[in-house]
Amino acid sequence: MRGRRTAATADGTPAMIAALHRGGLLAARYPEVRPLLADLGDEELAAAGRLLSRTDPDEVLRLHPATPTVSVAVTGHGTLAPLVAPLTGQLARHGLLGRVTVADFDGWVADLADPDSALYAADPDLVLCVLDPAVVFDEVAAPWRPADVEKALREKLALVSGLAARFGGRARGTLVLNTLPLTRRFTAQLVDHRSRAQLGALWHEANAALLRLAEEHPSVVVLDLGPLLAEGVAAEDPRLDTYAKVHLSPGLLSRYAREVGHLARQVTGATKKVLALDLDDTLWGGVLGEDGAEGVEVGGGYRGEAFAAFQRVVGQLGSQGVLLAVVSKNDAEAVAGAFRARPDMPLAEDDFVRIVANWRPKHDNLTELAAALNLGVDAFVFVDDSPFECGLVRGELPGVAVVQVDSEPALHVERLLRDGWFDTRVLTAEDRSRVVKYREELVRKDFLDSFASLEEYLGQLDVQVRLAPAGPDQLARISQLTLRTSQFNLTTERLQPGKVQELAEDPDTLVLAVNSADRFGDNGLVGAVFAHRAGADLHLDNFLLSCRVFSRGIEQATLAAVLRHARSSGARQVVGRYRPTAKNGKVADFYPRNGFAPLSQDAGATTFRHDLARIPDPPAHITLTDLLGERP
Amino acid sequence: MNTTEDFIALLRDAMGLPVAEEDIGRTLDEVDGWDSVHLLSLLTLLEQRTGRTLPFAQVLEAATLRDIYALAVAA
Repeated sequence: MRGRRTAATADGTPAMIAALHRGGLLAARYPEVRPLLADLGDEELAAAGRLLSRTDPDEVLRLHPATPTVSVAVTGHGTLAPLVAPLTGQLARHGLLGRVTVADFDGWVADLADPDSALYAADPDLVLCVLDPAVVFDEVAAPWRPADVEKALREKLALVSGLAARFGGRARGTLVLNTLPLTRRFTAQLVDHRSRAQLGALWHEANAALLRLAEEHPSVVVLDLGPLLAEGVAAEDPRLDTYAKVHLSPGLLSRYAREVGHLARQVTGATKKVLALDLDDTLWGGVLGEDGAEGVEVGGGYRGEAFAAFQRVVGQLGSQGVLLAVVSKNDAEAVAGAFRARPDMPLAEDDFVRIVANWRPKHDNLTELAAALNLGVDAFVFVDDSPFECGLVRGELPGVAVVQVDSEPALHVERLLRDGWFDTRVLTAEDRSRVVKYREELVRKDFLDSFASLEEYLGQLDVQVRLAPAGPDQLARISQLTLRTSQFNLTTERLQPGKVQELAEDPDTLVLAVNSADRFGDNGLVGAVFAHRAGADLHLDNFLLSCRVFSRGIEQATLAAVLRHARSSGARQVVGRYRPTAKNGKVADFYPRNGFAPLSQDAGATTFRHDLARIPDPPAHITLTDLLGERP
Repeated sequence: MNTTEDFIALLRDAMGLPVAEEDIGRTLDEVDGWDSVHLLSLLTLLEQRTGRTLPFAQVLEAATLRDIYALAVAA
């Protein structure tokens, strides 16, 4: 074959995929397919998908039973078989094995309306009901006026809306609809601009109504094809449209398949949660080590503007629960200094869950960061401009989605957003709580910067704290807090559930549960205090608080109640310990800031004492329910 | 694409069809695993490969693989 490149055949099929197919090895070596597809364009994925779709999914599953599968039923208007190849390629790229079926030509209404249809019986994860402009114009006889199109649009909308409702009541999976492209082939048939505008208005109103179906029906997703077409994909191929009833172009179907690939990833629970970014020439222009904090480009100048725009988009993702991190080959002090020296940058240190700057291999840093965040490395998207770093991460950590940017920063945004790595059906409570946590970090910063505004904020927050000996049904959560909390954790003693139960049952030991709520809702069990009596002293063995609720005064209220309880139960003093770790530096001065005096210090810990002479009141903005004297 | 050899290789490697040189004279319904969607993909591929515009309607009416090849190289 002429023109063959090393990596791909002339039509874009990855050479390795073609070779595996030729050898009849695609099923046997299916796990090797995913990394071969990771960075391919839509056309190349469609080419690979043509070969992959000829492989029997049952054979793949027999050889690799752990392969996650997604069943997809394709229905809709016109000839939709050309969607199978790109769809299969896109699914394989995410490590998913597609079971793709295509319904009979134009059978979509019966498929979705009849509760006994084969489609419902197959119970697919995803039903793609692909709609196109011909759905409407097939019903419009020539010659036509905008009013004729309006009538057809109304009828089709009512039909689709009814089918969506039927689907919601009948099916387990997700129904994927799409907006209808309006092409010049139709608009330009009207010669006067007024009618043409009228047609456009009617059409876009119908598309808006289609998009709103998703609000009404939780099992429906509506993909807006408009933004995909705006990238420059042709909506239709007139010859395929006319001769083969393929009403949407192969290019658009391939682009659509990319969107569906991300929907399918969510079906299997494979969501991305962390966006880890390089610094030099990724988040800012230039090299920090050479150009210095004042020299890196962000904000001013042409390239600086481009990097600033990219940072704002990254921040926008962060505001929706995507955890942001930096993984950079730099000196840590220089990076921290650069963020502080450049307040003109859209992103600040506080926007990141972690800034990792060192000279170790990035895949090691990513692996450690994943462990620290209690996430799999598969939850990571990694952005870097260096082909070397990207290649290394791809090779070492195939589960990480690698977005390679280049020396043109104006293209960074497009590269990052080209794939819907962080797409989610709706923002869940978990996503929102991540945002809250994120905002709490900002509030904490406010605390340092401007005490008054925090007071004001807290005054309006209506924080309620309930402090009581831990009951049996709270022990698992308390154990989890000790295992997961790293920042507000005075001694970082990790306790398994059995150990917590043992302590709770010991009459000389106190295990206290801290619950909190505010005007926005219940925060749940957010903290714990472990203590024991030794003679006339009460020893605080640990004090922990979820960083989600840190710096609302909950810690002060809890401590005040514990001190009061110590005095009323006859204690002479309260002793607390702080054992520093890499992560709990923010509570190093928690005891001294709250009336404790240093008692002793050894290599592992600092010990403080409170003489109980003057016990602070709980912060005025907190409503405290103190059940310390009660039995659980 | 200059020879039937190239054409068969395209069917085999890009389309995933189990065909050999001697199948060039077969009618399409005799080709193992053939369906009408293959013809659509093949049309697109041939246009990409040859850089020429093929007469769609005639290709859709082709009876054998050789007919398609002839249209592709004649276009």
